[in-house]
Amino acid sequence: MPFLGELFISEILKKPVLDPKGDELGRVKDLVIVRGEPLPKVSSLIIEKKRVIYNLPWLDLNIFNKRIISANIYSEALQPYELNEEDLLLVRDILDKQIVDINGAKVVRVNDVKLEGYDTEAILIAVDVGMRGIMRRLGVERGGEDLMRLFKKHIPYHLISWNYIQTLEPKLTTISLTVPRQMLADLHPADIADIISQFSHKEGATFFSDLDVDVAAEALSELKPETQVDIISEMDTDKAADIIEEMPPDEAADILSDLPVDKAKEILESIEKEEAEDIQELLSHEEDTAGGLMTNVFIAYPPETTVRKAIENFKRDAEVFETVYYIYVMDTNEKLFGVVSLRDMILADLDAKLSDIMATKLKTVTPETDEMEVAGIISKYNLLAIPVIDTEGFILGIVTIDDIIDRILPPSAKRKRRKV
Amino acid sequence: MSLRKKIVIFLSVMGPGIITANVDNDASGIATYSVAGARFGYALLWILIPTTVALVVIQEMVARMGVVTGKGLSDLIRENYGVRSTFFMMTVLFIANFGNTVANFAGWAASMEILGFSKYLMVTLGALSIWALVIKGNYRFVERILLFACLLYFGYVISGFMSKPSWPDVLRSTLIPQMQWNPEFIILSIGIIGTTITPWMQFYLQSSIAEKGIRKEEYKASRLDVLIGCSITDIISFFIIVTCATTLFPYGIRIHEASEAALALKPLAGNYAYLIFAVSLANAALLGAIIVPLATAYYICEAMGWERGVNKTFKEAPQFMWIYTFMIVSAALLVLIPSAPLVFLMVTSAVLNGLLLPFVLIYALSLVNNKKIMGEYVNPKSYNVISWGTVAVLIGLAIFFVITTFVTLRT
Repeated sequence: MPFLGELFISEILKKPVLDPKGDELGRVKDLVIVRGEPLPKVSSLIIEKKRVIYNLPWLDLNIFNKRIISANIYSEALQPYELNEEDLLLVRDILDKQIVDINGAKVVRVNDVKLEGYDTEAILIAVDVGMRGIMRRLGVERGGEDLMRLFKKHIPYHLISWNYIQTLEPKLTTISLTVPRQMLADLHPADIADIISQFSHKEGATFFSDLDVDVAAEALSELKPETQVDIISEMDTDKAADIIEEMPPDEAADILSDLPVDKAKEILESIEKEEAEDIQELLSHEEDTAGGLMTNVFIAYPPETTVRKAIENFKRDAEVFETVYYIYVMDTNEKLFGVVSLRDMILADLDAKLSDIMATKLKTVTPETDEMEVAGIISKYNLLAIPVIDTEGFILGIVTIDDIIDRILPPSAKRKRRKV
Repeated sequence: MSLRKKIVIFLSVMGPGIITANVDNDASGIATYSVAGARFGYALLWILIPTTVALVVIQEMVARMGVVTGKGLSDLIRENYGVRSTFFMMTVLFIANFGNTVANFAGWAASMEILGFSKYLMVTLGALSIWALVIKGNYRFVERILLFACLLYFGYVISGFMSKPSWPDVLRSTLIPQMQWNPEFIILSIGIIGTTITPWMQFYLQSSIAEKGIRKEEYKASRLDVLIGCSITDIISFFIIVTCATTLFPYGIRIHEASEAALALKPLAGNYAYLIFAVSLANAALLGAIIVPLATAYYICEAMGWERGVNKTFKEAPQFMWIYTFMIVSAALLVLIPSAPLVFLMVTSAVLNGLLLPFVLIYALSLVNNKKIMGEYVNPKSYNVISWGTVAVLIGLAIFFVITTFVTLRT
């Protein structure tokens, strides 16, 4: 059946569908969408007559355009149709729903859907998320246009090509949308967090589980604690564990401490043993103290290490760490002797030992130190990180400047979209 | 679960219900209660009990939807009933809320005048500062101001005690229903219900719960929040009626506005009662003048899919900012224009609210009973009887109110 040109879905809804004699078969209620190459296509019309719903396959259509829709079968041949969850319905499942506009990194609403003829099929080419879509649905697009022309302006089209849309509900994942998924991974995790914070919890979780583990881990740490908890609780334990494992231990501990105890335990059990121990250790501290803020992964070498060796090791070790500003110098018992800044290490003679170049007058805090006090010390001495030691001088972890900044100024996503 | 943990959960969930309920007692609400107390004494107090019950039934469902879906009411209506219904509702809501905003600015102007300030100066100042508050917005700052403003409502409780009512009479009138078959009595009782259960607060409550991200496990705490909030609203209303009933009713003083109540209290109940009444009215009016336009801007943008948020700029969220700005600027101007048809606007607003309420309630009830949306959290069968019953009564009253308003406007 030839279908040339293009039309908006709102232009054919509730339009009559005629049989070859010109009698009405029913009115357009919905369209069934299936996966297609290159874009999803219409597989049949759902029509309604006297409260009975029928399925009219695309192949049985004769004419399909804005003005006329007709079939080459008669009403006796119509198959009754039962609404079900398996089929993807254009009006029920897509129209009026929220979608992600990757280019603008924001959530918008589907006001209308544009179909276009391609070979013999009708394919979904774009969604209308603009003012025009709303006006068309209300039947006042023409009038609005005339009105705006009086002011010498025109209403812009705001269409998003179907290529650029990441659909949300799990039902829709059957449509292949590989391009947008790559584009999504290109977004900065903070932008992803922004998008997620605009969704309801369930949608947020669906959206989230589509992400790569490392992107997900970064985006997760940008969200506000309540949203983090919602998303992790909606996920299955294995996936959650994968993501949490990917996060720095201090942030992982923050999230786990907010989860219900059972769920946190389950997740901890599925995480690799070494990582889990690090997290467990951090969990024992109060949240707003140095102990609660610190991370227990940092770079430390013995005092007798030469600078040459240290730089070599550093290149190998630094990759896995969250933030590296200093090399800590400690013996095998984890007793802290001193600290070498990256700059000092690089400028030093390659054969010098770390113990020769390290600074020994260290600023340190204890795990119980209040977070504001930690912030004060870091600010006063212009530090990038500060070691947390116990009463005997053993190093427990470090608090880095970005952890402190997040406490004083929440990341942007945590401030967004709160209403009064 | 230990008691301590329960309390901690409640405190973290608390807020939306209580704030919504407080804002509900805005300038027009206070006016209705004052007039009711002055005109009929304690006789209308009993209405507050069924009103509270109805309020709790409705708000509980709306709150449940917010918790389960994590979406606002306008989101759900748009997704399930399409553009036309949504657009119709949003248009009516916009006009009705515009009327509400005008009423609040009028309340602010009146309270400033009786406190001895120039209304031209104070309305301009008030409008500018609430506009700047949101446009230059910082959410935390706004929230703190609102929470503080909520505390000021307790002024009415104090003035209630200061008026030294005869408590046995108050108690009897509260618990034993009495009817007077005259039109004024019936219209005032519907007015009390109407200013308490408004369409916009259903949208507001659900959005703020969704916004706060309250989870299903915390739903019980959220229900408590709603219950306490509804009780507080009506306790405040109760004390406003009691104050006016005790001091004004015995002398047969008729009033038409909340500010007149404050003035009339001066010789009868003393300077403090007058000051409390005037300041509380100013506070309630200004609070309403912030939240009603802000809420309207939110729902409309939510439903239409436009950018929104206090933290956005004019360029990022033009529709949101323009709706808010338009409502505040034109409401303030209308109040300042000497012969503006304020009464007509407020009556229109009340009628539109009455017309809109049935739609909002029916949509809310069918959404809350939709298994696809609510899953296992749909209304239990027995509860549906109560909620449909409540909705039916409210719809009946709303229609009756709209008809009588038209009849009285004609005559």
